[in-house]
Amino acid sequence: MSKKPAALSVLTANRLSDGVAVFLDFEGAWSTIFAEASVASNPDEVRALEDRGAYDAQRNIIVEPYLVEVRKIDGTLVPVRQRERVRAAGPSILGDVPGYVAPPAPQPRIREAA
Amino acid sequence: MYRYDEFDAAFVRQRVAQFRGQVERRLSGELTEDEFKPLRLMNGVYLQLHAYMLRIAIPYGTLSSRQMRKLAHIARTYDRGYGHFTTRQNLQFNWPSLKDMPAILDELADVEMHAIQTSGNCIRNVTADHFAGATADEVADPRPYAEIIRQWSSLHPEFSFLPRKFKVAVNAATSDRAAIQVHDIGLQLKRARNGALVFDVYVGGGQGRTPLLAKLIKPDLPEEHLLSYLEAALRVYNLHGRRDNKYKARIKILVHEMGAEAYAREVEAEWLRIRDGALKLPDAEIRRIEAYFAKPAFPRDIAKIKLPPPNRAFDRWVIRNTATHVDANHSIVTISLKPIGGVPGDASADQMDAVADIAERYSYDEVRVSHEQNLVLPHVRKADLPAVYQALKAIGLAEANAGLATDIIACPGLDYCALANARSIPISQRISERLAPKQDVIGDLKIKISGCINACGHHHVGHIGILGVEKRGEEHYQLLLGGSGAEDAALATITGPGFGPDGIVDAVETVVDTYLRLRKGPEETFLAAYARLGLDPFKEALYVAEAA
Repeated sequence: MSKKPAALSVLTANRLSDGVAVFLDFEGAWSTIFAEASVASNPDEVRALEDRGAYDAQRNIIVEPYLVEVRKIDGTLVPVRQRERVRAAGPSILGDVPGYVAPPAPQPRIREAA
Repeated sequence: MYRYDEFDAAFVRQRVAQFRGQVERRLSGELTEDEFKPLRLMNGVYLQLHAYMLRIAIPYGTLSSRQMRKLAHIARTYDRGYGHFTTRQNLQFNWPSLKDMPAILDELADVEMHAIQTSGNCIRNVTADHFAGATADEVADPRPYAEIIRQWSSLHPEFSFLPRKFKVAVNAATSDRAAIQVHDIGLQLKRARNGALVFDVYVGGGQGRTPLLAKLIKPDLPEEHLLSYLEAALRVYNLHGRRDNKYKARIKILVHEMGAEAYAREVEAEWLRIRDGALKLPDAEIRRIEAYFAKPAFPRDIAKIKLPPPNRAFDRWVIRNTATHVDANHSIVTISLKPIGGVPGDASADQMDAVADIAERYSYDEVRVSHEQNLVLPHVRKADLPAVYQALKAIGLAEANAGLATDIIACPGLDYCALANARSIPISQRISERLAPKQDVIGDLKIKISGCINACGHHHVGHIGILGVEKRGEEHYQLLLGGSGAEDAALATITGPGFGPDGIVDAVETVVDTYLRLRKGPEETFLAAYARLGLDPFKEALYVAEAA
């Protein structure tokens, strides 16, 4: 039986202004694209993510930050829990929703306030 | 329909203005999320898996065409082009921005709607039979009483911070279409021997992690004492309900732990103290509210019904989706929001606009929302049925499946909900596609799917219920059989070990095929066959035969 890849962590939250799910990226910005998420692979990196989440929540950029357990499978980041896979990818049924109008383009990253 | 009085209009506008200030202060950082969260919830604003969600109250499921058009406008302007009708006769928008919420609430106030008390530990939107005021099998229209309860419970200072949320449903027909026995309080209106209208009061029902059927604690309550008795029932709950454990805080737990008789005794004592006070309803006040719900003036000189040319699809639709109206020249029409393989309860902005037009032209300007996530045109002239069918067909809402196996209730599940453990909608879509070819042979069957233990999809009272759970990070589904939310209310029984996302669709089909094989004939419904056969043959088919 093959051994599962080691668990890693990314940080997610909801953007305050519109509630959209976002992920902390490698530049320290919040991206709507899960694949851009910064990955923590040791306790120090995990702590750094958590600190950044708490800081940005305090600055009212995002709300309810939390860590998501992920694995790298064939070079691709995949959340361990189905819940987080759906959160990362969006609702699985949008193609069947009557009248669904997709937003124009992925939201730009939230940069740090000047 | 009920129209806001000055007090209603003022408090709704006042609340919008207050919330506008709260949103501004949240966005500027003046309020923290901890401070803001209870304020947004009081206004129906949730933070879900992917975005904010706004839940809008539709009192007793009644909408005018104007209100429906406003919902369409909001879907188009502030959301992503659609809305979701829920199992509590509400509407949810899944993608609104926080900054737009005050504008949305202002738009709602323009048409006498709001989102107050659609969340939080208060008395929620009061629900009622979706055929109320139109059905032939009711003793009176239950909606005036639901409206009286709405007025009493809105911003009620004593009951704004209950131990947990509180749901009231009112039914006045011999068929229970409001599921009163799985509500915190269920009210059954009936006529006493002397002809007076009285209520049977059921308390302590509910689904969730501890499903219980409500107990009848007060038969024959005179209508003038409705509010005083509710006040007493809520007061005893507010006093004794547990606040230390949210899973033990619903009134059903209190009634269960105290015992229904002991609870009823305390309520009775409190009620005797207050029943002749300010809450005693003057007959004139009941009749005043009742007048808002007066039936339309149905014309007596309706032209002879001109039968359309034979059309099997239309005939099927009439058989499945119309119900007997109190007026012989009219029918009640169910608009199925369950296209085969579609998303239960969703409607596009264009569909909402079109339904508003149809209601305005053919149903005396009235639409209902059912707790089964369908829409209803309560008063359609029989002569207009062909035109209504064609109009619905043009917008993809003429599915002839009301009450059939593809008329599935499903909560938003893990596709949207932050609390869910598993997806409900894709499972309902696949079951719908699987059972569609044989649904007419199966006959009446209620399949209900919840994505978590909170049971928003009413799985405990499904003839076939499905509960999504999380097992080692993956979706898993328990199967339940034999529930009912109607007048023969019963809680479903878990069949045994659960199934994966593919297995649950096969399992439902196995149950259905077993029923078809063992029933005495088409006249024996699934529930009747289940009552006769018990769980064993279904378990045998699911677990023994499948393993062989």
